Amino acid sequence: MSEHLLELEGVDLGYGGEPVLRGVDLVVATGDFLGILGPNGAGKTTLFRGLLGLVPPLAGRVHRAPVPIGYVPQRESLDAIFPVTVEEVVHMGAYGRLRGLRRLGREERELARRCLQRVGLVERARQPFSALSGGQRQRALIARALMEQPRLLLLDEPTSGVDRDAEQRILDLLRELHADGGLAVLLVSHDLALVRSVVDEVLWVADGRVRRGTPGEILRPEVLGGRLLGGGAAAEVGA
Amino acid sequence: MSEVTWTQVVDLFGYGILAGLIAGAVCPLVGCLLFVRRTSFYGLALPQFAAAGVACGFVAMPWWIDHVGIGDLDLEQAMGDSHAAMNYHLAWAVLFTFGGLLSLAWLNRRGGSEINRVAAAFALATAATVLFAHSSVFGEVYVHELLQGMILAIDRHQLEMVAVLFGAILLLFLVFHRDFLLVSFDRETARAMKKRVLPLETLLVVVFGLCVSIGTMTVGPMILFGLLVLPPLAARHWARSMTGFYVLSSALGVAAVLLGVFASLRLDWPTGPTVVAAAGLELVPGIGTRRRSG
Repeated sequence: MSEHLLELEGVDLGYGGEPVLRGVDLVVATGDFLGILGPNGAGKTTLFRGLLGLVPPLAGRVHRAPVPIGYVPQRESLDAIFPVTVEEVVHMGAYGRLRGLRRLGREERELARRCLQRVGLVERARQPFSALSGGQRQRALIARALMEQPRLLLLDEPTSGVDRDAEQRILDLLRELHADGGLAVLLVSHDLALVRSVVDEVLWVADGRVRRGTPGEILRPEVLGGRLLGGGAAAEVGA
Repeated sequence: MSEVTWTQVVDLFGYGILAGLIAGAVCPLVGCLLFVRRTSFYGLALPQFAAAGVACGFVAMPWWIDHVGIGDLDLEQAMGDSHAAMNYHLAWAVLFTFGGLLSLAWLNRRGGSEINRVAAAFALATAATVLFAHSSVFGEVYVHELLQGMILAIDRHQLEMVAVLFGAILLLFLVFHRDFLLVSFDRETARAMKKRVLPLETLLVVVFGLCVSIGTMTVGPMILFGLLVLPPLAARHWARSMTGFYVLSSALGVAAVLLGVFASLRLDWPTGPTVVAAAGLELVPGIGTRRRSG
């Protein structure tokens, strides 16, 4: 039986008291693989940040199960001036558990090695994070999120700006994590083709509402109402 | 210098050298965080705020002694008493440093260019320092000597103060360095991990402010500028990890103080600028390597 990890009941989300999304009812449960899609400015990021707890609800109720949630930010938001190694970035995933002067223990180091192995970067552990390619950085950030031993993984545009091979590796990794580890995955993306190929269900964000359905139900021109996200994506939907 | 042995130097200036080494080890650690947060220019502006505070303290000292008092001392005694006078000036340095920080934080919330604002604050604080020094009954020379960083003149009480206060900063750094790194590198993830981001950032500002206030009062703003900015800049070229960056910056800070003090005694140069020049020399290998590789 699936367990509810996140539950939103009649939630309004927005900024400065102004709702961007109204009356959102949503359950994210173990075994889910969801993609958040929608036109630019429709509120995808607001929903994503609301699910993470970074935007407090203006109305309604958000219930988060007391389980670790892994977050993978957009890698462009991270500054290359930091001389951090890949290993140090992954270790950050354990910082929530470390207090005061306590150093990273052997178990945590072993966990970090396993996370790096899982994403195929164990041999690059000592390299500078800034020296990695875009796709490798993204996988390192997934490894960092895995350090939290999450039940739910939230990813913000995980394949944006990476080449096709790197994109495929990231998607394969997410599929594996979902299938092998039973990890619930929720990602935001602009790429309809990507979402169609990988997720089980889509959260379509438009007109201040969130609609949930399978890619087949949602990614149809009559549902999208012509508000597609670029020529390539439109061609995919129409295909 | 040729007539004086190094044993005599240690006897004469041991407290000052030790204080310089402590500052050399700790200030670059704080400077590393300023560097990776791309706020090194605060490392220039804040010591100047502290210096303006110290100079203002000199202007206010006669009034303060008359109306509030510094441990029942008269003006002349207060000038000669390193305990009371240092605590008094430290209070002024802290007041101006945190006043400047809060003002900049408040102005930065209104948007616009942060770097231009800090540059303007630096110019104003520099002018205020000179004007306060000029208005001081003790004269500009006395104030400027203090602000130039006469670390060799540090006495036992000042060394104890440096050790305790920089020790406290080091302890805060060791306890919170992981959290400081996380909120600096990836604020959103820190928030998602339920880290208390705002208190941590406030604590980071307190650490900056304390380091600047104490450093200005003990080693002077000139050495402080140098130790906050130059060792991390030199270390960044060679560091291959964050831990390595901290360790190398701190080691370069200590090396700059040792080399600077040694050179100032050998060449009879003022200590403050010589320490900064030594820290500047540490940049040269990195520049050379960059040229060859690029």
